[in-house]
Amino acid sequence: MEMLIKVLHNYYYMAAILLFVIGMHTMLTHSNLIKKVIAMNIMDTSVFLLFVAVGYTYGGQAPIVQQGKEVIYINPLPSSLMLTGIVVAISITAYALSLIVKIYRYYGTVDYDEICLIRSQE
Amino acid sequence: MGLAQHFPALIIAILLGIAFLSPILYRWARKTSAPALITALSLSLVMGIVLLIQVHQGGTFYYHMGGWPPPFGVEFKVDFLRVYMLLVVLAVSLWIMVYALKDLEHELKTEMLGWYYSLYALLVGSMAGIALTNDLFNLFVLMEICAISACAIISIKEDRACLEASFKYLILSAMGTGCFLLGVAMLYMVTGQFNYDLVNEALPAAVEQYPNNMFAASSLFIVAFGTKAALFPLHVWLPDAHASAPSPSSAMLSGVVIKIYAFALFIMFYQLFPRPLLDSIPLNEIVLWLSTAGIMFGSIFAMVQVDLKKMLAYSSIGQIGYVFLGIGLDDTIALTGGFYHLLVHALMKSMLFMVAGVIIYSTGIRQIKQLAGVGQVLPLTMIAFTVGAASMIGIPGTGGLISKWYLALGALEVGRPFFVVIILASSLLNAVYYMPIIVNAFMHQETFEHEAKPVPRQMLVTLVIGVLAVIFFGVAPGPTLTLLENAIALLF
Repeated sequence: MEMLIKVLHNYYYMAAILLFVIGMHTMLTHSNLIKKVIAMNIMDTSVFLLFVAVGYTYGGQAPIVQQGKEVIYINPLPSSLMLTGIVVAISITAYALSLIVKIYRYYGTVDYDEICLIRSQE
Repeated sequence: MGLAQHFPALIIAILLGIAFLSPILYRWARKTSAPALITALSLSLVMGIVLLIQVHQGGTFYYHMGGWPPPFGVEFKVDFLRVYMLLVVLAVSLWIMVYALKDLEHELKTEMLGWYYSLYALLVGSMAGIALTNDLFNLFVLMEICAISACAIISIKEDRACLEASFKYLILSAMGTGCFLLGVAMLYMVTGQFNYDLVNEALPAAVEQYPNNMFAASSLFIVAFGTKAALFPLHVWLPDAHASAPSPSSAMLSGVVIKIYAFALFIMFYQLFPRPLLDSIPLNEIVLWLSTAGIMFGSIFAMVQVDLKKMLAYSSIGQIGYVFLGIGLDDTIALTGGFYHLLVHALMKSMLFMVAGVIIYSTGIRQIKQLAGVGQVLPLTMIAFTVGAASMIGIPGTGGLISKWYLALGALEVGRPFFVVIILASSLLNAVYYMPIIVNAFMHQETFEHEAKPVPRQMLVTLVIGVLAVIFFGVAPGPTLTLLENAIALLF
């Protein structure tokens, strides 16, 4: 029971891990290359969510200093680092999609199983 | 000190800068782009040597990016081990680039060369960063740069096998970095730091409260670095990627790129996780058995290959196992052997891929069967192959023997002679698949029936340098081993 309460209290961590597992599973098992790239993005986003959730405090405000006031701030470091993470994820996605375009030109399909079939017949 | 104290940052700045300039130079001043890249690589190598001298004189030191001390800024740490890794990366990549300048002309379209130089400089710069950085998030960014540029130097060839292989590599290494970032999140949650030393200080207190985070993070790190360094069950991307790439890229990927991740995993284990915690989880044991499986299966898979480059790629899976074996045995002597193997394998495997490149350049042959009698037309090349293969097997006088010797001594030191048997068995397996090629190349009775183009002198000179280096590190291992022993003594 105590465990369950803990889990419910930290539901955003659970959501992030669930998304991560969904992304990883889809990425490794689906044969459609576009779906693999989408799953890669889900996986990366889940980690970003986790980081942002780590930095959040209940009732916190944006970390801007106001004279003469004691305010609870959220931790800005994870959020700002995740901006870098998003840029990295975008560049990987762009590169992966451009590879898929080239692969489609050569094989005429974006399905990995069909590509393997074509290659085995050569 | 003056400028010299900024060398850790300058090495990376120069390489990333030349990555930016290369396509521009290639577009408007074509003759200068290759010399500019070689100059940048040599300059960073010289700076690396200066760093080694600095560490030798003044001990370990830290470099704060932009003058911001941690926990605010990114920190670089310069100690013996990191400088050693840095020098291996820079020296081997300079050597491969000298070879690549000739080889790439026939493997790539001419207008792509400038882009190749750019990607190559990015790859080397990011690896130099991974060797020096002392910050988890910085490591993540550098790993992503390294992953994209490593995939791109495969797919730049643009034939169908390359594209498919580099896509597979990209997906699996994206999975690796995803796992790594999740692991970092696990550690950041409980420690609130990214700097290795500060995480290391904060972990013991944090683990008492949240033990599961540490377990999750360590297993995620094994998956992340294992995927990228082709630790046994996670190696599936390697054979296709390394075999289909242009030969200089294969040499770079097999020789250096997989090693840097093994090094990063080592740093995680020995500098990030506090020692008592590491002893409480059997992490080393996991790495040990996976590497053992890799050593055996890599060699067994290599035996059944018909394509020369694919055989070399499978052999890499076995050989990276030795580096992990050093980490797994968790002993100073074994670690010395593992890190020595990292250098020797970088040299010999790069050289073997260069030999494969020369054979493809000259005769266009990739199949092992057709190589019979190739020694008649390419004698120097096949002598280089013989030396490389001898070092793989571990014949006295080559570097391969020294590292295997130290690994075996380390295994005996911790009282596990089983791993000595594994090392011996895998040496025999190496002999089984390398020897027939050598014997066929030189002893074949009939004349070689394929046409052979003359090989440019520049390519042969790089091979000769490789032969000399492999023999040098087999005959005079003393200084390097002393350096490594000093480096590893700092960690225990």
